[in-house]
Amino acid sequence: MKTESNKVIIEDLKKIRFFEGYSDKQLTAIVEMSSVKEFKVKEILFEQYDELHDVDILLEGSLSLGISLAHEKRIHLGTIEEGQLFSWSAVFSPYISTAWVMAMKPAKVISINAKQLNKKIEEDCDFGFKTMSKIAQTISHRLSDTRFQLMNQMTI
Amino acid sequence: MANNQNIYKPIKAKLTDVIEESPLIKTFVLIPEEEFSFKTGQFIELSVDGIGEAPFTPSSSPHVTDKLEVTIMKTGYVTEYMHNLKPGGYMGIRGPYGRGYPVETFFGKEVLILGGGCGLAPIRSLLYALEHVKDKLKKVILCYGSKTPSDCIYKPLFARLNQIEKFEAYRTVDKADEEWDGSVGVATTLLNTIKVDIKNSVAVVCGPPIMMKFGTIRIIEMGYTDDQIYLSMEKNMSCGLGKCGHCMMGEFFVCKDGPVFTYKELKNTPDIWK
Repeated sequence: MKTESNKVIIEDLKKIRFFEGYSDKQLTAIVEMSSVKEFKVKEILFEQYDELHDVDILLEGSLSLGISLAHEKRIHLGTIEEGQLFSWSAVFSPYISTAWVMAMKPAKVISINAKQLNKKIEEDCDFGFKTMSKIAQTISHRLSDTRFQLMNQMTI
Repeated sequence: MANNQNIYKPIKAKLTDVIEESPLIKTFVLIPEEEFSFKTGQFIELSVDGIGEAPFTPSSSPHVTDKLEVTIMKTGYVTEYMHNLKPGGYMGIRGPYGRGYPVETFFGKEVLILGGGCGLAPIRSLLYALEHVKDKLKKVILCYGSKTPSDCIYKPLFARLNQIEKFEAYRTVDKADEEWDGSVGVATTLLNTIKVDIKNSVAVVCGPPIMMKFGTIRIIEMGYTDDQIYLSMEKNMSCGLGKCGHCMMGEFFVCKDGPVFTYKELKNTPDIWK
């Protein structure tokens, strides 16, 4: 459950590696479609298979990402650290999360409205290319880490 | 270096302590009967009379010459026998062999170290060596991954490193247990959040072949050039002399030319991650 909502300031975005290379005008556009949300320890940000409306970037704290198996058993697959993007499924159809995310430490998250973000991506080619490249890189790292994890398991 | 003159004759060393690091890994503290020195990253042949010998990279400081620590994972006949040895027993040491880390070339730079599993053993020796010259370095960042929290070796090392000026240490586990509240994920996930001046930096990778492969790919993706990346090819070490031929990798004998190589030297070698 989201407990608090605040305005994002451009200085917050400038500290995040994901936004390196964005112009002030582009960052202002992000600010206008974002809000800061805070989560308590053990609070679930979203469940696996939830419909997602926001792309998120962790500003402070630590989050756990995982999948659920039968009998609601939660398997922790990874940690999201400060500055990392998650909930990228919000930008791509069918907009359904592939994992759950839980706060492991009190967390502050920048939530970017995915509909508005997609609209901006379509309208502004430079912004769209940068954003899609960075989201693709995040997904590519996740895939590579998952392969690494899988190969580790296979060689036990 | 007053190490053994006969390349085949081991120096006798008394086992004074055995430290259990994880269920499969122990550190053996040895006092050689003759002066013994090595450069960080170089390796030795450790033997037990009547059983056999195997190559290991010392995990202790290269600046300590009267005592040697070797961290050994139980993987086969010789290492299983070693794991059953008690303090008071004796082992043999040949070496040191090969080319270690060129620490002097790291001066004025940031050093990013990516390690996994038992690969932290040679890295610990490197960390001691870097601590010795920390005034000449910009920063040292250690990113280490183990399969589970209980598989993590040298647990107190991480807190100690984070107390040293210019040093940062991070660790993660593939699979958490109930008590673990740190990062979960493979070692490469730690590279996503660290801050490093890549142009003025070198990267060191040491660990299981799978980790070295994925780690090196990620480090290249970060912007490191092939000659900024140092790989420790521990798995290829064999007789120590380049005589048996088992250490051959492309044009190199790992025992003589390595075990530390730049990625630039090895990148065209077939099957380097096997």
